[in-house]
Amino acid sequence: MTTLRIAAVQASYVLMDRDATIGKVGALTAAAAARGAQLIVFPEVFVPGTPIWIDTQPIWTGDEDWFALLADNAVVLPGPASEQLAAIAAEHQVWLVIGVQEREPHGSTIYNTVLYFSPLGELAGRHRKLVPTGSERTVWGMGDGSTLRVIDTGLARIGGLICWENYMPLARFHLYAQGVQVWLAPTLASGDGWIATMRHIARENRMFVVGVNPVLHADQVPAGFPGRDRLIPAGYLDDNGPWLEEGNTVVVAPSGTVLAGPVRQREETLIADLSLRDVTVARRHLDPVGHYNRPDIFRLQVNTSPRPAVTESGTAAAISQLNGGSDEHHASDEPART
Amino acid sequence: MSPVTVAAVQAAPEFLDRDATIAKVVALAEQAASRGARLVAFPEAFVPGYPDWVWRTRPWDATATVLYARLLEQAVVADSPACDALAEAARRLGIWLSVGATERDETGSTLYNALLHFAPDGTLAGRHRKLMPSGGERLVWGAGDGAGLAAIEAGFGRLGGLICWENYMPLARSALYAQGIDIYLAPTWDNSEVWIPTLRHIAKEGRTYVVGVTACIRATDLPGDLPGRADLYGGAEDWLSRGNSAIIAPGGDIIAGPLTGEEGIVCAEIDTEVARAARQQFDPVGHYSRSDVLRLTVDTTPRAAVTFRRDDADVPARPSTGSAALSRDAALIPGQQASLPADERSAR
Repeated sequence: MTTLRIAAVQASYVLMDRDATIGKVGALTAAAAARGAQLIVFPEVFVPGTPIWIDTQPIWTGDEDWFALLADNAVVLPGPASEQLAAIAAEHQVWLVIGVQEREPHGSTIYNTVLYFSPLGELAGRHRKLVPTGSERTVWGMGDGSTLRVIDTGLARIGGLICWENYMPLARFHLYAQGVQVWLAPTLASGDGWIATMRHIARENRMFVVGVNPVLHADQVPAGFPGRDRLIPAGYLDDNGPWLEEGNTVVVAPSGTVLAGPVRQREETLIADLSLRDVTVARRHLDPVGHYNRPDIFRLQVNTSPRPAVTESGTAAAISQLNGGSDEHHASDEPART
Repeated sequence: MSPVTVAAVQAAPEFLDRDATIAKVVALAEQAASRGARLVAFPEAFVPGYPDWVWRTRPWDATATVLYARLLEQAVVADSPACDALAEAARRLGIWLSVGATERDETGSTLYNALLHFAPDGTLAGRHRKLMPSGGERLVWGAGDGAGLAAIEAGFGRLGGLICWENYMPLARSALYAQGIDIYLAPTWDNSEVWIPTLRHIAKEGRTYVVGVTACIRATDLPGDLPGRADLYGGAEDWLSRGNSAIIAPGGDIIAGPLTGEEGIVCAEIDTEVARAARQQFDPVGHYSRSDVLRLTVDTTPRAAVTFRRDDADVPARPSTGSAALSRDAALIPGQQASLPADERSAR
């Protein structure tokens, strides 16, 4: 059976600078591809980085410039940024999975999204985080059920959830039922508790788990960043230390054994060879959607309908489409092709 | 609510001797209660001992068959003297007592891996039969129905629990979370290094206290006359289970244990207000659920293999002497957790 070489890229973003960060994505993807990686995974909202002010300040206090930067540097689908990412995947003939700050073409709400680019340079999948966490709710909206799909790459069936979505048992179960073999968990979560979760999830569905974090030191905030002096108050550093993102990237086997990592406080790309036979064999012990399920007791219903804010009917909508207005009526269930 | 002490008892059963094991449960519960425990939990299938041989014998061979017969004989029947002894201990000590037992219906020959919850008033307040045995266990245990998924209000918090690898059933866990449990019991036989990460994950996912409790038994703890003993078991280095009992706080931090390689009582002070406040950060069945997208239905109907009916209502429908068993089942459905009326118990 297939062996898949994956790369989990723990790296620093260039805070709120989409193009510079995509430049890093290109370089890091080239390096991982040169090591033979077929599937390369980047952290949660790596492009253009974490809105770190939501945890360093009271909510809505002097954050106007920062939110404007976030909105300007968010990724629109399809758009130049997604085309660059697609081109990187195609150039290196790899699957590229990456977290981005996403928004609708004319939207002002940001979504925490993971994009799946195929080696052909196609946007093969997209997942918008279903529920943001705590202060994240002040910058991100919620995705609908239409982006909870497992993708067959030909090498393995891949899928996953973002950060604390990984604590949503029903969302996990829905993806398990689609036969996911390699679970991708882009995240910002630090510490041993997160590693315990990665190991648990691997053992729960007897699959490989790839947790990927960014890493960022306070000194790495760009020199010209607006309001840099107040972005990270001294008291915040006293409480949390100088690592705004400590890193926690890890690769776990279907048994729950850690294969690589966790790596912290430095940039590093973890490479691992995943034998899919290990998944098959491990599921004779436990298969949560097969012989270890009780469908007579538990019935999970999932609404996978796209939920756009407005559904139009009538001639104006059709005319707009004819005029090339697909951006304005971007159907949120259809992965854009580039 | 003020903090209370809970205890996980890691011990060896008196293997395949129900009454001697129950005597040990009572003695250890007394010790735990003397340390202030209001909830005392025992391991999976502790009475009369986890049927470890399912992992060592060939299925259905002569030894496995004779061991099954002994397990059947030594199993616990709800509302029997064995059960009464556990209930009386809970009442006398004023504790909640949760005990893993191999259990069967009074006239039944299929065994269930059950978790029995006894209340301080001396009633059997809940019974959960493991929904899905694992691997070799499927050769000795049947599968329970959804009726045992009911959470229990203990006064100092809401209790629930799943047994061993049931803890890898995301939907079963969700069913417990949805009932607002604060204390999650996870009796197990799992000795693996990944078990503690699983307990920590559940504590963080459900924002509950998690009490993991495991037996600690080696071959020298087994009776000399155990069928197949010489072929199946070695000496002091042959651990059936080393134990790994631990208590986890709602954020996922280990607050007691894990205890390995020895008997002992793992205690921790818990405060259900802490668990509930922790759900500000995460609540899998509240603000961190997406009921518009993901909707779980759980069937908690008791599922008897045969239901008897008879139109002349003054005559028991069941042909023989089993009417008490039927009313016992009725007493154990969710929402009717008070167990049997006293008069029915004394009539037995």
